[in-house]
Amino acid sequence: MSKPTCLVFQTYNRLAELIDSGVLTHPRVKRRAEDLLDLLKDVCTGSSGPNHLQAILKSVATILIEEPEAFSGEIKRIVGEPLESHQEVFVSHIETHNCPTGDCDFLTPAPCQMACPAGIDVASYVGLIGEGRYAEAVEIIRRDNPFPWVCGLVCTHPCEFVCVRGRIDSPIAIMNLKAFAAERAVSERTYKNPPKAEDLGFKVAVVGAGPAGLTAAYYLALKGYRVTVIEALAQAGGMMMVGIPRYRLPREVIDREVAFIEELGVTFRFNTRLGRDTTIDQLRSEGFQAFFLSLGAHAAMDLGIKGEKDFPQVIDAISFLRHVSKGERHIPGKTAAVIGGGNVAIDAARSLIRLGCEDVLLLYRRTRSEMPANEEEVKQAEEEGVRLSFLTIPVEVLGADGKVTGLRCLRARLAEPDEKGRRRPVPVEGSDYVIELDAVISAIGQRIDPEGLDSVTDLHWTKWGTLIADTITSATSAEDIFSGGDLVTGPATVVEAIGAGKRAVEGIDRYLRGLPQPKMPPVPSRRMRAALSEVPAQTKMALRRPEMPFLGPERRRITFQQVELGYDEATARQEAKRCLRCDICKRCGKCVKICREQMGIDALQFGHVDFGTPGLTDFRITAERCILCGACAANCPTRAMTLEDREGERVLSLCGTVLCREKLETCHRCGAVVGPARYLEYVKKRTSAVQEAFAGSLLCEKCIRQLTAQSKSGITIP
Amino acid sequence: MSDYYLFHDSAKCIGCMSCEVHCKENKRLPPGPRLCRIETIGPKWVGNIPKVDFVFMPCYHCDRPWCVAACPTGAMQKRTGDGIVFVDHNLCVGCKACMRACPWGAPQWDPEKGKAVKCDYCLDRVDQGLEPACVAKCVTKCLHFGKPEEVVDARRMRHARAMAAMATEVTLRQPVNGPKAKPMKPKRKQAQDPVEGS
Repeated sequence: MSKPTCLVFQTYNRLAELIDSGVLTHPRVKRRAEDLLDLLKDVCTGSSGPNHLQAILKSVATILIEEPEAFSGEIKRIVGEPLESHQEVFVSHIETHNCPTGDCDFLTPAPCQMACPAGIDVASYVGLIGEGRYAEAVEIIRRDNPFPWVCGLVCTHPCEFVCVRGRIDSPIAIMNLKAFAAERAVSERTYKNPPKAEDLGFKVAVVGAGPAGLTAAYYLALKGYRVTVIEALAQAGGMMMVGIPRYRLPREVIDREVAFIEELGVTFRFNTRLGRDTTIDQLRSEGFQAFFLSLGAHAAMDLGIKGEKDFPQVIDAISFLRHVSKGERHIPGKTAAVIGGGNVAIDAARSLIRLGCEDVLLLYRRTRSEMPANEEEVKQAEEEGVRLSFLTIPVEVLGADGKVTGLRCLRARLAEPDEKGRRRPVPVEGSDYVIELDAVISAIGQRIDPEGLDSVTDLHWTKWGTLIADTITSATSAEDIFSGGDLVTGPATVVEAIGAGKRAVEGIDRYLRGLPQPKMPPVPSRRMRAALSEVPAQTKMALRRPEMPFLGPERRRITFQQVELGYDEATARQEAKRCLRCDICKRCGKCVKICREQMGIDALQFGHVDFGTPGLTDFRITAERCILCGACAANCPTRAMTLEDREGERVLSLCGTVLCREKLETCHRCGAVVGPARYLEYVKKRTSAVQEAFAGSLLCEKCIRQLTAQSKSGITIP
Repeated sequence: MSDYYLFHDSAKCIGCMSCEVHCKENKRLPPGPRLCRIETIGPKWVGNIPKVDFVFMPCYHCDRPWCVAACPTGAMQKRTGDGIVFVDHNLCVGCKACMRACPWGAPQWDPEKGKAVKCDYCLDRVDQGLEPACVAKCVTKCLHFGKPEEVVDARRMRHARAMAAMATEVTLRQPVNGPKAKPMKPKRKQAQDPVEGS
């Protein structure tokens, strides 16, 4: 498996080799090349600022123009050419301080940030929460995601699946921490919008006020565009509002976060449907120069079984959840079946329970382990009384007098995995049976509702009915129209829509300014290097992911009250301190290797750094064996491992986790630090075979040298 | 001991530190490590004249080096050919055991590399038949380097001249070659030294 190499890092190394080879014999050329190398080093180590690119270009240009061909030719080949062909990579390094290949040590991004569709700098905000700086944490989150509170409650948290702490015990509760910080900041009135840029005068229309549209509106407004959001429904939020039930996401959470977007001067036109109440051409004539389409996927897939269309008690989950969120709270029937195994099916089933259904049955074609729904939520649904029935395929809705009476189902078995590894359910012949019930909710998928979109000409669609848009620039086939969210991807998650909205802003911004569009997908930005919280190794190992306190099931069955009660402050701060800070430690394992193989001490047991087969991690073992020599720290490429002398102690820490500490011994003559006893003992033991060097008092290197010099000198100092 | 003899004639030394500067320049060292040192002793009144003495302290390339024994990685080695003690930076991990072990603080810390560095008599220069940087650039030519039998015996010549001049007030200093801190041991044969690495 060949890893992609980082072009910037490669350029830096090649130039360094050129300088070291001594080819540049002219002193001025050599000095200029060294200056250029320093600039490149800044880019590779994350100490580059906004002017670095200009400085590098100027430095190369100067060399090419003023220096003899013999020297400049090499520099042109090594630095000039990559700069010309892949300038974006350099720009991305300078702007994001992240290097996706991981070649640039200081710029290796944390897995959580790379997994986040919105690219949030997770490690930094978790670090800030650990220090109790909630408003700053929210500010960091909102640089990549304007909905920290919403995402804190309903995100699918792909970050937690890759969390390195998960290899030790369980992942950091990244999502819950986000919710805690956002809620705290809102209630303390420290949740603030960043300052807006100067007004640019361009008008941009966003169609659809869901997570993608609102995110685009937010970042466009911050950049100084005049944004108007067109929304078919009567309120903002899109599927967050009409798809996600209130017991997971209270309405005020959405309202508050939308209000912050409104505060930036974004205007809304509600009850305005594209193609019915307005058209793109109409908006163009109003002076809108760019459009972002984010209409979502609000139509449901049909079951395609007999009787599905014949009864009013057969409803799709999307419509059902929309009615419920609008306040139409009557049940379609006393006993209901929900068909499907995704999050929407679970939402529908749990909503039915809350509305007073006596019996809610969830039917799924495969088994529990294949369910796409979040395991946590399936558990909660069961607690609330939803019954699950697996390997069940509905084939016909039965009814009489315009009412549903039952559902004919088949038993299924799972076939052998196909080439994609999916196990298709195969109906078992003659296994049909009838479930008696009086309502059916189908939740087997969503599609794009094409109504009104035909009014927009020159767009290209896929065969699945999704809109074709560039994955990098979000541009569609129409020059001034950009698109993202479910409309492009098909039904997906809130955080993916947010990521799409954020990406589109870059494309729209460049289009309106007449700049060339990016050619490579954006790299998430490292927003800061948050301070490390000092945690003793014992604590770091002993802390466990806290249970989220829930409302009791008896209350959950009858109200739409929020189920998750949230962490209290002490819990949240402790949880944040479990973080291993992968934004700083790149888990290269160099420290472990040196301690084990070269020093022969083997005091570091970091099983989690091994991606293939995570071994045992125990930070507590270090204190038993470590001699505080600091070889690990001296060789740590990212300064994650540190050895420092403070307050009369020598302390070894990894990203704030104190692995070992011991009192320092001092020189008997001048009081300078000599080292901790266990280190001195180690050296003494190794040298005892040669000769006893430390007979008598403990002296520092300087005093030893002075005393030796005096003994060799003709003058004796009393 | 190595096969070489580095003689510092302290009577001629003016403490200008050229040796230290050129040593660092040759090794391209960052601020911090000083591989050879001019230690200043004094000033002290000798009669009614203030006297300062300069002692040159390179690495002594011991017969049985503490630093080599202390080094856990085999980076610190003693050359079999001529007994020069040097650090192999590919093996050094920066545990500083050599620095702690040396009774004279010869091994130094290179904060940029994160490794130990020490005087190795500029072995790359010595191998080319040149003198170590400190000797080559000594301003007053008070440093001499070579095989013991080649080095000028400045002290004997000076003593002879002084005797000839019948000067009685001159105090002759007798710098001892090698430190007094350790008792003298019968010299071992080179070949018996355990040598790690190549």
